Amino acid sequence: MRTTRLLALAAAAALTVGLGATGTAVASGSPSPAPAAAEPVVFTVGMLGDIDSANPFTGIAAESYEIFQLEYPTLTEYASSDFSIVPGLAESWEESADKTTWTYKIRSGVTWSDGTPLTAKDVEYTFNRVLNGEYEQTNYGSYVENIAKVEATDDTTVVFTVSKPSPIMEKLYVYILPQHIWKDIDEKAVTSYKNEGTPKEPTVGGGAFVMVERKVGQYIRMQANDNYYGGRPAVDEIVYRIYKNEDALGQALKAGEIDFAEGLNANVAKSLEGVEGITTVSAVYSGFDEIAFNVGAALDDGTAIGDGNPLLEDVKLRQALQWAVDRQALVDKVLGGGGSAGSTVIPPIYADLHLEPANAFGYDPEKAKALLDDAGYAEGPDGVRVDSEGNELRFRLFSRSDSPTSQKSSEFVKSYFEAVGVAIDLKVVSEDALIEIVGQGNFDMFEWGWVVEPDPNYQLSTFTCANRSYKDGEDIYANLSDSFYCDEEYDSLFEKQSVETDSAARAEIVKQMQQKLYDDSPYLVTFYYDNYEAYRSDRFTGFVPQPDPDGALLFQYGTWSYESIKPVVKAEQGETGAPAASESGVNWPVIIGIGALVVVAGLVGALLARGRNKDIDSDDRE
Amino acid sequence: MSAPVVPPADAAGAPDPARRSPRAITRARRRASAARFWAQFRRNRSGMTGLAVLAVFALAAVFAPVFFDRSSLDVTQATGLPFEPPSWEFPLGTDDVGRSVLALVVWGARISLVVGLAATVISMVIGTTIGIASGHYRGWFGGALDRLTDWFLVIPFLPLAIVLATVLGRSLLNIIIVIGVTSWPGTARLIRAQTLTVESRPYLERSRALGASNTHQMTRHVLPNVMPLVLANTTLAVSISILSETTLSFLGLGDPTTVSWGSILEQAFSSGAISQGAWWYLGAPGVCVVLVVLAFNLMGRAIEDILDPREA
Repeated sequence: MRTTRLLALAAAAALTVGLGATGTAVASGSPSPAPAAAEPVVFTVGMLGDIDSANPFTGIAAESYEIFQLEYPTLTEYASSDFSIVPGLAESWEESADKTTWTYKIRSGVTWSDGTPLTAKDVEYTFNRVLNGEYEQTNYGSYVENIAKVEATDDTTVVFTVSKPSPIMEKLYVYILPQHIWKDIDEKAVTSYKNEGTPKEPTVGGGAFVMVERKVGQYIRMQANDNYYGGRPAVDEIVYRIYKNEDALGQALKAGEIDFAEGLNANVAKSLEGVEGITTVSAVYSGFDEIAFNVGAALDDGTAIGDGNPLLEDVKLRQALQWAVDRQALVDKVLGGGGSAGSTVIPPIYADLHLEPANAFGYDPEKAKALLDDAGYAEGPDGVRVDSEGNELRFRLFSRSDSPTSQKSSEFVKSYFEAVGVAIDLKVVSEDALIEIVGQGNFDMFEWGWVVEPDPNYQLSTFTCANRSYKDGEDIYANLSDSFYCDEEYDSLFEKQSVETDSAARAEIVKQMQQKLYDDSPYLVTFYYDNYEAYRSDRFTGFVPQPDPDGALLFQYGTWSYESIKPVVKAEQGETGAPAASESGVNWPVIIGIGALVVVAGLVGALLARGRNKDIDSDDRE
Repeated sequence: MSAPVVPPADAAGAPDPARRSPRAITRARRRASAARFWAQFRRNRSGMTGLAVLAVFALAAVFAPVFFDRSSLDVTQATGLPFEPPSWEFPLGTDDVGRSVLALVVWGARISLVVGLAATVISMVIGTTIGIASGHYRGWFGGALDRLTDWFLVIPFLPLAIVLATVLGRSLLNIIIVIGVTSWPGTARLIRAQTLTVESRPYLERSRALGASNTHQMTRHVLPNVMPLVLANTTLAVSISILSETTLSFLGLGDPTTVSWGSILEQAFSSGAISQGAWWYLGAPGVCVVLVVLAFNLMGRAIEDILDPREA
């Protein structure tokens, strides 16, 4: 998915020092005592967005998916350690020798949260509902594209017949729904079905938790499912509270209103560091930012479009530019250290798939200059390089007004490019406008980013010839490709990986594709950014990062942390009942600053008053 | 007492005025009134304070490249650490990428002052033209201009400026235009009122009777008489233009490639200077805006007092 990068991350401006200097010594409130045995264990999560719907056929927000995966099982899951495929509701699975069918073995003796048995029939029902549905296809259509037939041959066996082999068959992320509930919700009713549950009548699910209450824009409550096949979680209840901004979220964590804060920005996270009882995590994330080059905008049929500068079609020029950018400086100064230098389009969080190129482009402006000289771009009279026909290397670089990160990194890139004699006209436009500009091919370079799924298919498809813009009637519409990269060899590799069901063999192809993209340089991947989380380590322990060891603790592909966290018992907590110290330390610099402003204002006032009096006097005299 | 109207008795000390050409007389008269104006202005303490403050900023803006090399604005060549508090090396601390805030503020003065002055010129030209014309022509034309002024006057400034800035795109010229074309109606109102007073004077009736054209009346008789008011109002309008520039830049509508006080404030805000307690980052540009606006206001007041245009 295209990232509308969180403003939060955007504000991840460099903040490596100065915390001590600013003297924000904030004493934490006293940790609340661990709950007594009789009281339910409630785990409260603060987040910045509400779910858009609790109906798994409707919701698309990240928060909604977090709820769905807690409520409903999937056949397979992504391992917490490294995103490898592990059993979920299915114990085992197998592709037939002729690659036409997949047989899944479902766990036996599993029941839904209301006690009804959960069998292969439910799996068959769910997949058929998606296959035969129209509304149901919106969220899950891509998983069933090549499934011709689904059949439960007995209570624990499901057989999928496929039209062509596909690695997606191991990653069918379709939430299995209880047939006895959903059969009563017909194709019309499903479009407006809320699926929110009430304390008396919780939703019926097969996951670790079920939903018992929702107050739109305020909170969502989930209750542990006693019948969960993975074992009942130690936490009895999860409450998601919705906050309006990162500062409020950070304060709530500090004050102990919540146990976990999701989606902080670098500043707030840094201000929480060192606070007693709070642990902050700069979790590696699956997103990257890039400078994309217009390598020759064209429609999917090859017709050239747009007004991109044709000089950028030269791969030598693009490679030279790759050497001109100090990616580590971007990480340090734009992200505040929360990330890592970029290389290929599959982030290193996916260790099995990510390629760390052997021929890495480092930061070497001298080499960039030498490469440009060799490629025939000599320095012109005003320091801007020109090609053999005298055309200046002057390019438009679009950055996004919606994202301070985008603007800041564009500013850096502009400086780096200009340092090697490539002139940049920086233009800042809204993301909506940029989608339009890019789709029409009316750009030279732009700054944006992607969030990459564990399955690389989607991300890799954004560089295929077929996914360039297309024409419908007279109008040109944007497709997934935003660099207009088109290469026969790449396309054939793409086809090859999309039908390769052996994951090791597929990873090999995916790496080849990354190498190809790296060398051809339609993108200059600037950095992989982190996601900031923080939690009350004086209250809960046992979080499972995905991937191990520095990944996200919540909002993962899976529900690993929810299933394994435990309340911290009093004995371990050591000294409790510390006096509720003053909530905020004194922030002298701010006070001095305000004082200075007051003094200035006072002087101003005094001067004005003087002026007035004098005016009156002189008036009188006259 | 208005400068152009009152004839200087023997200000230039010319022994024989009759021998000089009318042009020379006018020039002498102007020089004399300028000298008198300066003498009065010098005695106005608040006016002089404003002038001094402004001189400091103007010098800083003009000689910015002497004090700080242009590279001190380059994010990739920042020498400090992010959010360093004020020190001898960085008297106003550093910003979120380690650039000297003092260098930013000094360079920012250029853009802020240029935008403020240029926008005021646009606003004054439009305001004066429409003001005089709507006061001079009494028929439907004057009425239409007057309604146009009213119309612009009732549209809230900020939304209009934001819409215009969004439509035109983000560049320095556009921000000047936006401020210029949205801030003239006040001036037009003022000038129109003054025009009406001037037009009712007998000598204008005389010139009309002698067959003076509309243009002649407006440029030769009305304009010189409203000029003091325009001058005083300009000084006050500059401060409003600078504030507008700061506001629009802070809202992210300024030219993203230049450094102005408003854009420094925006940067500070979006990079979390507040939660970092980096008061120098927010305070420095803020205090500069306050000082320059104050300086222009003090001067405007002083000029108004001296020329006293409304009495003319």
